[in-house]
Amino acid sequence: MTIEFIWQLPTSGDGRYAAPGITRRGERAAGAPSPLQAGVSDPRGARPPFNYFDYLHQIARAADLSGFDGIQIRHDTQGDESWIVAGYLARSTRHLKLIAEFDAAWGSAVYAAKNAVSFQRFTGGRFAWQIGHGGDAAARRRQGDAAPDADILPRIDEFITVARGVQNTSPFSFKGKFFEVQDGGFKGPLANHPVNSIYLTGESPEALALSARQADVHVFDAAPVANLRPSIASLQTQARQLGRAVAAGVRLDVLARETFDEALRDARRYRSGAGLPDELPSDGGTAAFWPGFAQAQTGAHGALVGSYAQVAAALEAYAQAGVSSFVLAAMPHFEEAYRIGEHVLPRVRAALSAQLQAA
Amino acid sequence: MAIDFFWRIPTHGEPSSHRARTPFRGDWFPGNDNLRQAGLGGGGADGFTYIDYLAEIARAAELSGFQGGLIPSFPMTDEPWAISALLARETRTFRFMIPFQPGFLNPVVAARMTASLQRATGGRALYNVITGGGGPAQLWWGDAAGHDDRYTRTTEFLDVVRGVWRGGPFSYQGKFYQVEDAGLATPLSEQDFPEIYFSGSSDAALGSASKHADYYLTWLEPFEQLREKFARVQEKTALLGRKIKCAVRVDIVARATEEEAWEEVRKGFEAVDAATLRQFLGTDGGDSVGAARQRGNRPTTLNSYKDLITAPNIWSGFNLLRGGQTQGIVGSYQQVAERLDELVQLGADAFILASTPHLEEAYRVGEEVLPLVRGHTAALLRAA
Repeated sequence: MTIEFIWQLPTSGDGRYAAPGITRRGERAAGAPSPLQAGVSDPRGARPPFNYFDYLHQIARAADLSGFDGIQIRHDTQGDESWIVAGYLARSTRHLKLIAEFDAAWGSAVYAAKNAVSFQRFTGGRFAWQIGHGGDAAARRRQGDAAPDADILPRIDEFITVARGVQNTSPFSFKGKFFEVQDGGFKGPLANHPVNSIYLTGESPEALALSARQADVHVFDAAPVANLRPSIASLQTQARQLGRAVAAGVRLDVLARETFDEALRDARRYRSGAGLPDELPSDGGTAAFWPGFAQAQTGAHGALVGSYAQVAAALEAYAQAGVSSFVLAAMPHFEEAYRIGEHVLPRVRAALSAQLQAA
Repeated sequence: MAIDFFWRIPTHGEPSSHRARTPFRGDWFPGNDNLRQAGLGGGGADGFTYIDYLAEIARAAELSGFQGGLIPSFPMTDEPWAISALLARETRTFRFMIPFQPGFLNPVVAARMTASLQRATGGRALYNVITGGGGPAQLWWGDAAGHDDRYTRTTEFLDVVRGVWRGGPFSYQGKFYQVEDAGLATPLSEQDFPEIYFSGSSDAALGSASKHADYYLTWLEPFEQLREKFARVQEKTALLGRKIKCAVRVDIVARATEEEAWEEVRKGFEAVDAATLRQFLGTDGGDSVGAARQRGNRPTTLNSYKDLITAPNIWSGFNLLRGGQTQGIVGSYQQVAERLDELVQLGADAFILASTPHLEEAYRVGEEVLPLVRGHTAALLRAA
C-alpha cells in the first residue's frame, strides 16, 4: 500500500499563535502602518509588494522540498479561492499533488471537469479534487447555493458522474436532477488525459456509500485510531462489493516536538492563547489524541500531541489500521512543514518500510 | 483616454504560420507533433507542456507593449481561469482577459475567484463576458437556458458579482440566482472590480451590456456597419446614464510591404482543403446574431483569395485559416495602422489583435505596427 502525506494549505491566514494571532502573513492590512517602530527603516515600504499569496507560495515550496506528497488547498470562504491558489502554485512546485477543495455548488460540472483537464495537462497529472459539503443551509445560501440538506450528497454524486463522463467519453449525454449534458465530452487535445483523483469526506453512512461508488480517497475527520477502524472496514467492504478500491484518509493536526513535555507546553500555550480550556492529561507514554485541538483555525477535529517518535508511532498505528492518506497540518504551516517533514515523516516511512521488508 | 491594445493567447493551438495547418507547437495536442520520429532518439516527453509555450507568448506580449491578452475558451481549448492563475507569478504587467459564460460558475464563487486572481496578479484580471452561441453547443457545456433567458441570466450574474464584491451583506432574489447575506471577506473585498468586455450582438445582449459592460466588444465587421453598431450601443447605454467604450477583436497580417502581406494570405488560402471551403460557404447552426452578421458578408463562390477582399486591406476569409472570425486586416505596417486608426475614428477605444504565430507576431506587431497608430488625437483625448 502506498502511503501519502498531504500538508494542508491555510487559505485564509496563518500564524504562530491562536486567534487573534492569525494573520495573512506577508500581507499588511490596507492603511496599516509598518509593524516596525518609527526609528527603524522598513524596506517593504508603506505599501509592501507582497501579499498572502507569496506566503502560500512559501508553504507549498516547503512541503515540496521537505518530502510531502501533496498539499490540500483548503476551501475557506473567508480566504482565497482554492482553484486560483492551485494555479498560482502549480508552476513553482514539482512533485506535489495539488488537491483543491471546493463544493458542488461551485458551478457547472462540465466546466469544472474542463478546468481539471487543463490542470492535469499543465502539471503532469498532479491535480486532484476534494469535494466538500458546503456547510449548513445558511452558510450555503451566503454562497448563492439554495440546495436543501437532502440534495448535498446526490449533487456531489451527479457532479462526479458528469465530470468523469465528459473526461472519459465522447459523445456523453446525461440528464439528472442537477446537471444536464447533451453530446458532450472532451475531444482532441483535451481527451485521453489521466483523470484527476477525487477525495470525499463525511462520517454518515450515506457519505461512506457515496465514497464507495465515486471516491478515490475518503478522508475521515480526526478520531482516535480505534474509533476509525469500523468506518474504514465499512468503506472498504462497500467498495469491494462494487469491484472498486477506495483509500482511507484521515485529516489530523500534529503538534510534535523533541520531547513530550515540550509538545505539551506548546499545546497548552496555544490553547490558553485562544482562551480555550486546557484539558489534555499529561501522560507521557504515547502521543495523545487531543479532540478539537485547533479546530477553529485548521478545521481538524483533533490533534496528535507528542514527541517526534510518539507522533510517528501514532501515525504508524493509523497506517496499520488501513489509513493510507494523511492530511496533516500544524501552525504555523510553513515552519511546521519543515519540522514534520524532517522529524516525523522519515520515522513513519522507515517503520512502514521495515514492516514491508519483514512481511 | 488612450487606446488599449491587447493580444490573444492561442488556446486553440499554434501552427507555425498562417499557411500551416498543423498546430503542433508546444505540445498542445500531446503526441501530435513533429518532434518524434520512429527509431530516432530525442523528442520524447521533456516535462514541458503547452502552458510553457503560452507563458512565452504572454511574456512576449507584455515586453512588446500589449496590455495583456484574451484567452479564448472553446470546447477544444484549455480553461482560461487555470491559465491565468498558472501564469500569474511569471508575468508582470500582462492582463488576463478571461472569457466566460455565466452558466459556468455560481456568481458568488466567481466573485471570490476573481478577487483571488486580482490578489494573485496585483489587479490584472478582466472579464470577457460571453452569453453563448446557443444551439446544441450550449448543451455540450451542460447549459440548458434559452437565448434571451441567457441574457437575463448574464444580467443577474453580474448583479450578484457586483453585489457581493464590496463585502455585503447582499441578498438577491433573481430568476436564476438567489443569495442571502452574501459578501466577500476582507481583504478580498478591497480589490478593484475587473473591467468587463462584453460580447453579443442581439437586442437582448445590448440590453445586458448597457447595464454592466465597460467595453462593448465586437468582431471586425464592415466599417459602416460597425459605426452604426457602436452608435446603437452608446445610445442604449446613455439611456441608463452610463458610458460605454467600444473594442474590436481583429486578426491581422502585417508585413513590410502590402505585397508580402497578401502573399502570405494567398499561400494560406491555397492550402485550404475542399471540406473546409464547403463548410465556409455553407451555414452553421446556433442562434448567435454576431455569427449571422458575419455570414451575411460572404460570397457564394470562390476562385481566388481575392474574391474575399471586401474593402481596402480587409480580407474576409480568416476563418478558413483558423477557427474564429471572418474578417481581418491585411497590409503593410503603415496600412494596418491606418485601418486601425480609421476604426478609432468610428469609435473604437481598444483592440484585441491576433496573428499567427502569436509569439513572433507579438514582437512584430508591437515593434512595427503599434508605434504607427496615432490613437485618439489630442482633440478626442480632451473630449474624453
